[in-house]
Amino acid sequence: MTQTKTERSVTINPGMLCQPIGAMQAVLGVHAAIPLVHGSQGCAAYPMRMFNRHFAEPVEIALSSLGEDAAVFGGADNLVKGVHALTSRRHPELIAVITTCLSETIGDDIDGILRKIDLPVALVPMHTPSYVGSHVTGYDNAVKALVSQLAEQTGPTDKINITVGLLNPGDIRELKSMLEVMRVKANILTDISETLDAPLRLPRPSFPTGGTTLKEIADTANSLGSIALCKHAGGGAVTYLANKHKVPMILGATPIGVANTDALLENVSQLVGRPVPEQLRRDRGRLIDAMIDVQFKVVSKKVAIFADPDVASGMARFVHELGMEPSIVATGTASKEFVKDVQAIASQTGHEIEILQGCDLYGLHEAVKAAGVDLLMANTHGSIADDEKIAFARIGFPVYDRVGYQRRTIIGFNGGINLVDLIANSILEHGDAS
Amino acid sequence: MRQIAMYGKGGIGKSTTTQNLTATLADMGSRIMQIGCDPKADSTRMLMGGVRQPTVLDTLREVGAENVELDGILHNGFGGIKCVEAGGPEPGVGCAGRGVITAIKLLETLGAYDEDLDFVFYDVLGDVVCGGFAMPMREGYAKEIYIVVSGEMMALYAANNICKGIVKFAEEGEIRLGGIICNSRNVDNELALVEAFSERIGSKLIHFVPRDNIVQQAEIRKKTVIEYDQTCNQADEYRALARNILENEMFVIPEPITMDELEGMMTEFGVV
Repeated sequence: MTQTKTERSVTINPGMLCQPIGAMQAVLGVHAAIPLVHGSQGCAAYPMRMFNRHFAEPVEIALSSLGEDAAVFGGADNLVKGVHALTSRRHPELIAVITTCLSETIGDDIDGILRKIDLPVALVPMHTPSYVGSHVTGYDNAVKALVSQLAEQTGPTDKINITVGLLNPGDIRELKSMLEVMRVKANILTDISETLDAPLRLPRPSFPTGGTTLKEIADTANSLGSIALCKHAGGGAVTYLANKHKVPMILGATPIGVANTDALLENVSQLVGRPVPEQLRRDRGRLIDAMIDVQFKVVSKKVAIFADPDVASGMARFVHELGMEPSIVATGTASKEFVKDVQAIASQTGHEIEILQGCDLYGLHEAVKAAGVDLLMANTHGSIADDEKIAFARIGFPVYDRVGYQRRTIIGFNGGINLVDLIANSILEHGDAS
Repeated sequence: MRQIAMYGKGGIGKSTTTQNLTATLADMGSRIMQIGCDPKADSTRMLMGGVRQPTVLDTLREVGAENVELDGILHNGFGGIKCVEAGGPEPGVGCAGRGVITAIKLLETLGAYDEDLDFVFYDVLGDVVCGGFAMPMREGYAKEIYIVVSGEMMALYAANNICKGIVKFAEEGEIRLGGIICNSRNVDNELALVEAFSERIGSKLIHFVPRDNIVQQAEIRKKTVIEYDQTCNQADEYRALARNILENEMFVIPEPITMDELEGMMTEFGVV
């Protein structure tokens, strides 16, 4: 069954965030980069608080602080002043100008304004009107803007590109460790593992030491191939590199669970021409073992999954692998592609899946009530689980009512093991309580 | 592909001149797309033989951005001209400027900018009132601007104002003024005045299109002049305009004049 569009004319508890916040996360994964939001106060204040709570990390987000005068006369002056102030005070290597509802509506010619500024800093405009798409679209647009403005053909390398999408620092660390085991060099777009989970060391550097460098972004045009771990968030950049610089592309499924991780490793292995090493096969075996260990605790339990499109469809496949039933697979972002992905999973696994795209939390709650599920997997906002007295496993963004989620991974074989524990323990804890 | 935007005071005859121009260019063998950037959606009426095609924004409103298809909003008119109307909100509602931005972005996404086209024409309403109506002047879109005027004070005043907008975008990108087109109103000393104005702002008069009732007669029959009667004098005038644009090589950053200078010119040419 597929519910493609809600008939309601109001949204009750939105299931998504807006484009700029996704773009900000992408920029925060670039070394010595500062997102400069071209909008009004709330456009930066609210996302900043969200990042602080989820990543437990300070973040720097600049703002051109548009007021009523800018709405009437255009925001060019504020933007130019902001770029100059930011450069002289913080000396960043990149300033990404992230647009908002207001700046897009008044039609500020951001590209033109930035072209006129002559400063020793890379300036990348990112068009992210908040009323189009969601945070997922914003992330996608941002990464695409980075490669379209900065990627340069300079001669082939033996590296691969991986766009990670809206995942956690822990996920990227896991990805990097898998690549290290495979001895694969990669340009990771964008790498928040060191910037949004930075070690605390004194003296504190002006910018966190990690993050994707501008050189790596420039080098993406020369790679053996590109893989998007989340096609909705990063697929645009990978497609751009394929069209413009003929870098072969793979829009993979997010590597959650056994089959999807196998597919990723297989893809990487084919791109670099080396087999998947023994150590990863061992990790795989450990995941399978973990899955078997919890078998009788989780089998046939009905699950509702609510997350960003690629994470939700990846998770659906994994809970199926665990012997559970993905009854509801939902995302707040509107996407036909997502519906197709989940339909494919439904037809391959034989599960009857209710697919919700572009849904709000009210819609999710109604569906959960109607389907009578045992476990809800969602971000902190999924407090529906309490109301329905069902087990709750936290995934996605934001999670701020428990600590440590940003450090854990859900991808790869080790992520699978974490998920097995998370899912089984959620069910056990719930069972103990009732 | 040459991308051209037509600006000018409201009611000066931009849509009429643009359609007669594109019809003539098509008749001479050019492949053209014409995009009406006016919420009134009457820019391609004569090219379409009076058929009011669905606008980009109406279609967007009805079916949603992800379901808009190029076939639904782009139709072939006279001479194979691909006609598009951006459309917009009802009068007094919403933001028409944003509508222009949305429509052009959507056309781009849908692949309307075919490599085979010789010309893309943007017929933009009245003045450049906000960022939305300046959209065709942004990088990647029109690089040539023509301003339609008459020998009337307010038409020249508007043209001068539009030049200020062009200067702003020219400094940041490649956009240039291609020239002034006079759509004659038969006012005193019109040719001399418009010629002088064009030179004063550092450009030139591309063509003086005389007033001829056949334009209205054709318009009533929902036709351009070239389609209605290709042997008439006015058809030759449009051919001359088309040739001058085809062969134009003078693209400048205009130098707008002050209101005092403009008023001075009106006195000088005996209009005031």
